[in-house]
Amino acid sequence: MKKSTWIIAFLALTFAGDRLGGWALGTIIRDGQFRYSKLYRPEAGCDILFAGSSRGLIFYQPYIEAKTGLTTCNLSYNGLPLEMAAALLKDHLDRHTPPKVLLIEVTMLDKRMNENLTANFNLYAPYSERLSVLLKEKFPKVYYGGEVSHLYRYNGEVFQRALYYWKRPDKDWLLDRVISPTMIANVTNQPVFNFDYTDEMLVQLADVVAYAKAKGVHVELVVNPYYPPFAATIGNLDVLTAAIEKATGIPVRNYATSVTDQEGFGDYQHLNKRGSRLFIDKLLEDEVLPALEKKE
Amino acid sequence: MIFNSLTFLIFVAIFLPVYFKLKGRARLLLALGGSYLFYGWWDWRFLSLIVISTLVDFVLGLKMSLAKDAPSRKKLLYVSMVLNLGFLGFFKYFDFFTESLVTMLQSLGLSPSMHTLGIILPVGISFYTFQSLSYTIDIYRKKLNPEPDVLKFATFVAFWPQLVAGPIVRASDFLPQFRKDHDFDWNRAMSGTAQVLWGFFKKVAIADSLAPFVEQCFAEPQAFASVNLIIAVVFYSFQIYCDFSGYSDIAIGFARILGFDFPANFRTPYFSRSFSEFWTRWHISLSSWLRDYLYIPLGGNRHGTANTYKNLMLTMVLGGLWHGANWTFVFWGFLHGIYLVVQRLWGHTFGVMMCALRFPKILQSTINIALVYFFTNVAWIFFRSPDLATAMQVINGIAGLEGFAFVNVMNKFVVLKGFLLTGMLLAVEITDFKWGYGRLVLQKPAFRVASFAVLLWLIAIFGTFGSNAFIYFQF
Repeated sequence: MKKSTWIIAFLALTFAGDRLGGWALGTIIRDGQFRYSKLYRPEAGCDILFAGSSRGLIFYQPYIEAKTGLTTCNLSYNGLPLEMAAALLKDHLDRHTPPKVLLIEVTMLDKRMNENLTANFNLYAPYSERLSVLLKEKFPKVYYGGEVSHLYRYNGEVFQRALYYWKRPDKDWLLDRVISPTMIANVTNQPVFNFDYTDEMLVQLADVVAYAKAKGVHVELVVNPYYPPFAATIGNLDVLTAAIEKATGIPVRNYATSVTDQEGFGDYQHLNKRGSRLFIDKLLEDEVLPALEKKE
Repeated sequence: MIFNSLTFLIFVAIFLPVYFKLKGRARLLLALGGSYLFYGWWDWRFLSLIVISTLVDFVLGLKMSLAKDAPSRKKLLYVSMVLNLGFLGFFKYFDFFTESLVTMLQSLGLSPSMHTLGIILPVGISFYTFQSLSYTIDIYRKKLNPEPDVLKFATFVAFWPQLVAGPIVRASDFLPQFRKDHDFDWNRAMSGTAQVLWGFFKKVAIADSLAPFVEQCFAEPQAFASVNLIIAVVFYSFQIYCDFSGYSDIAIGFARILGFDFPANFRTPYFSRSFSEFWTRWHISLSSWLRDYLYIPLGGNRHGTANTYKNLMLTMVLGGLWHGANWTFVFWGFLHGIYLVVQRLWGHTFGVMMCALRFPKILQSTINIALVYFFTNVAWIFFRSPDLATAMQVINGIAGLEGFAFVNVMNKFVVLKGFLLTGMLLAVEITDFKWGYGRLVLQKPAFRVASFAVLLWLIAIFGTFGSNAFIYFQF
């Protein structure tokens, strides 16, 4: 074959493989059990909706469903930035029957969240105008890169998780380990932990709360538990909750020190399954979550 | 300018067609101008260092060849060494030695009033200094005739593919290649492109995917369970390999497209069965430079066992220091020196013991490879750590074996991806080693087309496109 024919063959193969691969991965993702795949399918309505960062993952869904008899969806993700959470929440509210309760874990109002995570959601951009707009604005190279190469849309951890949860439910996603003795010993050496939030974040949260309320959703804002000695190192949690209450007009339920069982923590900021059950029992006790007998 | 950036892609897209369009001195001028642009994109002020080194070594080379006696030649060589090593010493080591001296004097109860200057390290200075030095040393040794054309010499020193992170190409290998214009050659372009793509895959897909996990663990080792620290060390061994050998592949590949042959810089180093073999497979251009211009002039292995060990240690420690102005690099070099000495002392006995125990050959090789890899990783801990205290924290964290369970592995998806990619790397390297996969790519056009496409798809899915600098830029 002529050299020019080989070049054309190479370009054609690269393009066709990219499109075919993109289509195949897209099909897998669309049909998967991962939370965002379900979000962008019509059937994923639920009674209780959760959102947050990795600290929002500790709403252990199997236990909540058993205790309340209600269906749950969780849009939380490790390091999920608020603007991304807001887009996902609004998409959920637009596409499905509004939930009875929406619980937002508010410590995600922090600049330390992973802003680049938004770029990872490129694989869901074809299903959401809101996501596409956000990506175009924040990560134009990533968005247009995904237009040029469809395989590139699947470049990121969100895709890997979506693939992992292709055939299995993700409601069990909670790191189930016990805090290490080294971490326990080091907690006193931790520097003061301050939330680094912005006014823009407060406005975004107020906006999403108002959006949910307008759809008739009961919204609860909560601070999930911290390992108590670590909670003592937080400098401005009260300031943060006061600012949120002022911005949203609804109270923040502060559970920062509500779980004291050391065995209930995976690390300073995350409960394990044992701790999550203890925490959920408190939420039920305080009627933040509707208990089984009260669901009607 | 770094290879994994959009700017570089634009640069190459313009440079290559113009390069092949031009001939003779016009082409050389473009190569030199392109190289200075490539370097100056980072910081144009430091171009002056390259230009001064180039001009001085060019003139000294000519003068050395005209000098009538050995002492005169030696004086000229000293001028070259003082200038080149002076630049290197000042920009790379001044602050380090000042700080170390202040710390030492303070520990003696003195309070010296010495200050560091906060000097910026010019990118690639260690590489082009060694490259340029090899030229004057070889002329001094009468192994090389001086290059009479300043344009060719300047292009040799600053040639953009390997200017900032090697491979360190000897003048005797490189300069003769300037004697004729290289026309565009389809087969060279294809094999060069294959190496460039493979280098990009190693850098942007493997090295940059492993980097965040490694970074997290080495930033705060006391916060991580031992299983994470072990993974971080293993990942770092592949991160640095893929980062550096990826750069070398891209450099060698582009040079080949442009018509130049550079020697290989890496040959599957983690399959080495001894430490001496490791150093013939890892950063070959530096290790052979150190062998030829330091170890052998020191006496090599010619003056008895004790002197051999002393020369080995000195060479490895200075090799460590070449990498960076930090005691961690010095200790890394020291460890490798110890490994080489220990291997000379007991390596043979160990081999005899395995034979006596009737270990099959393959088991012997596996044990040797595992041991070399293990001890290389111990040394990498020091190389990667910001200071010796952090390195000890990592070692203590691993040795404590606390939380040695799968559940304690953090970022499991990142870890899974890391192992998947390193698995791919090993699969390709093994198949290449065993069945000549690389030759197949070059010989069968259909296989070549498919390989290029697959590499591009893999880069699209697994690549990290944040224009992360290459690790060896800091050296």
